[in-house]
Amino acid sequence: MPYDPSKPLQDRITDIGPKNYEEFLPPVIKKNFGKWDYHEILEPGVLVHVAEGGDKVFTVRVGGARLMSISHIREIMEIADKHCGGFLRFTTRNNIEFMVDDQSKVEPLKKDLLSRKQPGGGFKFPIGGTGAGITNIVHTQGWLHCHTPATDASGVVKAVMDDLFDEFTSMRMPAHVRISLACCLNMCGAVHCSDIAILGYHRKPPMIDAEVIDKVCEIPLAIAACPTAAIKPAKIKKPDGTEAQAVAVNNDRCMFCGNCYTMCPAMPLADAEGDGIVIMVGGKVSNRISAPKFSKVVVAFLPNNVPRWPETTDCIRKIVEVYAGDARKYERLGEWAERIGWEKFFEKTGLEFTHHLIDDFRDPAYYTWRQTSQFKFTG
Amino acid sequence: METAEAQKVIIEGLEKKKGKSKFYLKDFYAMLPDWKPREVNKLVNNMVQQEMLEYWSSGSTTLYGIKGAGKQGAAEEGEE
Amino acid sequence: MKHKTPLLDQLESGPWPSFVSDIKREAESRTKNAKGVDYQIPVDVCDDILGVLELTYVHKRTHWKHGGIVGVFGYGGGVIGRYCDQPEMFPGVAHFHTMRVNQPGGKYYSTEYLEKICDLWERRGSGITNMHGSTGDIILLGTHTPQLEEIFYELTHDIGQDLGGSGSNLRTPSDCLGKSRCEYACYDTQALCFDLTNEYQDYLHRPAFPYKFKFKFDGCPNCCVASIARADMSFIGTWKDDIRIDQKAVAAYVGGEIKPNAGAHSGRDWGAFDIQKEVIGLCPTGCMAWDGKKLTIDNPECTRCMHCINVMPRALKIGKETGISILVGAKAPILDGAQMGSLLIPFISAEPPYTEIKELIEKIWDYWMEEGKNRERLGELIKRKGFQKLLEATELEPVAQMVKEPRTNPYIFWKEDEVEGGFTRDIQEYRKYHLR
Repeated sequence: MPYDPSKPLQDRITDIGPKNYEEFLPPVIKKNFGKWDYHEILEPGVLVHVAEGGDKVFTVRVGGARLMSISHIREIMEIADKHCGGFLRFTTRNNIEFMVDDQSKVEPLKKDLLSRKQPGGGFKFPIGGTGAGITNIVHTQGWLHCHTPATDASGVVKAVMDDLFDEFTSMRMPAHVRISLACCLNMCGAVHCSDIAILGYHRKPPMIDAEVIDKVCEIPLAIAACPTAAIKPAKIKKPDGTEAQAVAVNNDRCMFCGNCYTMCPAMPLADAEGDGIVIMVGGKVSNRISAPKFSKVVVAFLPNNVPRWPETTDCIRKIVEVYAGDARKYERLGEWAERIGWEKFFEKTGLEFTHHLIDDFRDPAYYTWRQTSQFKFTG
Repeated sequence: METAEAQKVIIEGLEKKKGKSKFYLKDFYAMLPDWKPREVNKLVNNMVQQEMLEYWSSGSTTLYGIKGAGKQGAAEEGEE
Repeated sequence: MKHKTPLLDQLESGPWPSFVSDIKREAESRTKNAKGVDYQIPVDVCDDILGVLELTYVHKRTHWKHGGIVGVFGYGGGVIGRYCDQPEMFPGVAHFHTMRVNQPGGKYYSTEYLEKICDLWERRGSGITNMHGSTGDIILLGTHTPQLEEIFYELTHDIGQDLGGSGSNLRTPSDCLGKSRCEYACYDTQALCFDLTNEYQDYLHRPAFPYKFKFKFDGCPNCCVASIARADMSFIGTWKDDIRIDQKAVAAYVGGEIKPNAGAHSGRDWGAFDIQKEVIGLCPTGCMAWDGKKLTIDNPECTRCMHCINVMPRALKIGKETGISILVGAKAPILDGAQMGSLLIPFISAEPPYTEIKELIEKIWDYWMEEGKNRERLGELIKRKGFQKLLEATELEPVAQMVKEPRTNPYIFWKEDEVEGGFTRDIQEYRKYHLR
């Protein structure tokens, strides 16, 4: 029985939750669930997990644009049907994993994956993303779907990953480097604990569309949406000379989050010159050696230079190269910066230290200033 | 307070507010001071099921309003 | 193609997979319609996605508007409303609503299941997805309003699949792959995630909270799903007893027979493996020793950071007495700054039916629902009211593990019942000995 729009509640099924993951486990995974003994990265992008009883599962990890068409998914399915008994998995970082239960099946799978190219020459399924390398970027929607982005997501990610491609397919970093992107400060992508974070940022307060604001917006909701209480009610003159109930924005208090625009379409804030990218570095989520850390702002603004964001890719490349050359084995980017000192980080990377990088936002700011006479001179 | 009576309190409470059609769950706590948060939550979600209220979601937060009320509601439906 | 896209075309070169080429591929597939699909939204939707994105690249400003009302009946989450601000130029994406579909644990799939999702989304949506969204859902990106109920009906009836969360709901819980393929997993992340997701379906679909609420399940302290940074309640696997040591395998690492860190550093010559420098010397508690023959660990001093196990996975294994540490209150920065999760439960068993865990969750929710302000995350409430209030609400005893260090100020708000004799005193009695 198909859905009948005239009886929307007929036979309605709700609250059934997700599918049971057990239906989707490949046989070798199901058989050895909870019995894995160790794993090894055989080469970039290829892992073997060995079970206590000796069973092995070989995994080939490939990068993916998280924005994915069903034609592409069908191609993934075709590969999984051909090589992997009809199963596959995705990682939390938008990679795809093809698993086989015998080493002899690895090479044909790899060959098949690498043979598939896009019309522009790019790989459909680049193999890599393991170990001490740079794996896929986790990101948000950007200009493709979001209503408050300050930059694109998929386009920036494509530009950065093209530039860092060799690091995806190799493992020459001191430790793994996690890059993430969020297209505005609301950080749906939670980039605040990444080795390198690319963050879209608006720099102009919202405009007020006086002509329609009283028709399309509920003023109290726009006011309530502001996290810094920068919006207050005000009468404004409409273009036709009449007065209308509207709002005024205290520009000095605006943090450019766009929450008012979500509630009130008459308060757009996007701007070609105003919007761009903030670079943050040194965060991590793992508890390995040192505690998890937040990322820190090291570049306050880079422009949205479409379609390939050269300033952003150059900046990231520079940070990665200096880190790779200077950090010790196992040292994450943030651990390295803390060991050498952030003043040295700026010296070594050549990034300019500006007043924008000194925290002045509320209480946590104090804890980032230097409360000791110990520091290093830089030249 | 009986359910029907509480529903009436909510609808009347919402109709009284001028210039604003969408409300946070917390706003309903104040209208029914004797009710526990969970009971208020059940009540208003039930009123959505009965099509007395509707949800409005910013994506990150959800608000409630009388079905069909509000400026943005009209604009969205007009685009169909 | 329907629209010229000279800027986007420049994102088709380079080795990384191009999303532009991929959307073009879907656009062509729809135009050709080799299978005779009865498309329910405009056939040129993917052309219009590219068109509006190209225009965005020209303007460097988004062309999307938010829509708050759309959804499926009775659910407060799972659909994100989106409208194009140039609907006449791009009618295919005039509506471009997203549906969040609750992903399976560990993100394993059968092709049989994906086929059904693809068929549904080809007929009733844009054919464009995210695999996956940041929270973990399968994202079906872009459909028109009348399709929402149709899709929900087919998802639930034909595929047995429900939507995920958005808004002031429990968000779609997510897990690492856990015991399915990882020797570090200290508990069955998939089982706990699946159980709690089903237990709290009502909270996932219907708003009950002041703001969003996230559960994330990490099998070990490596935290591959970033629970400690992102989840209001993070469930991180840990163990209580000793790290298991296979001395023969240690010797094999020292002798260079096994590559350290499972081969993660093999892309560069770091020199011979040096157990003293790379393991003993980097242990944050200094609880390990190597005498040239035998590795010893002073286990009560170990804080289970995973470094030594990560470096020598064939020699060192997590303990056998495993369970979960629960941390609460992590969130991204907006508004008052980012917060990591704070340790609330050092160790709890992770065996079904998880009664103790559920009791804790419900106490925390009761407290937050009662005290939380609008759009206040749990972590912000804990900060505003203080950790001690959270202990009262959850009826937990304080333990020293909960803090990095004790307070640096003595401003303790003593309660009357904590002070001998209470606060009420007799001023007359006082004045007998102290003149005015």
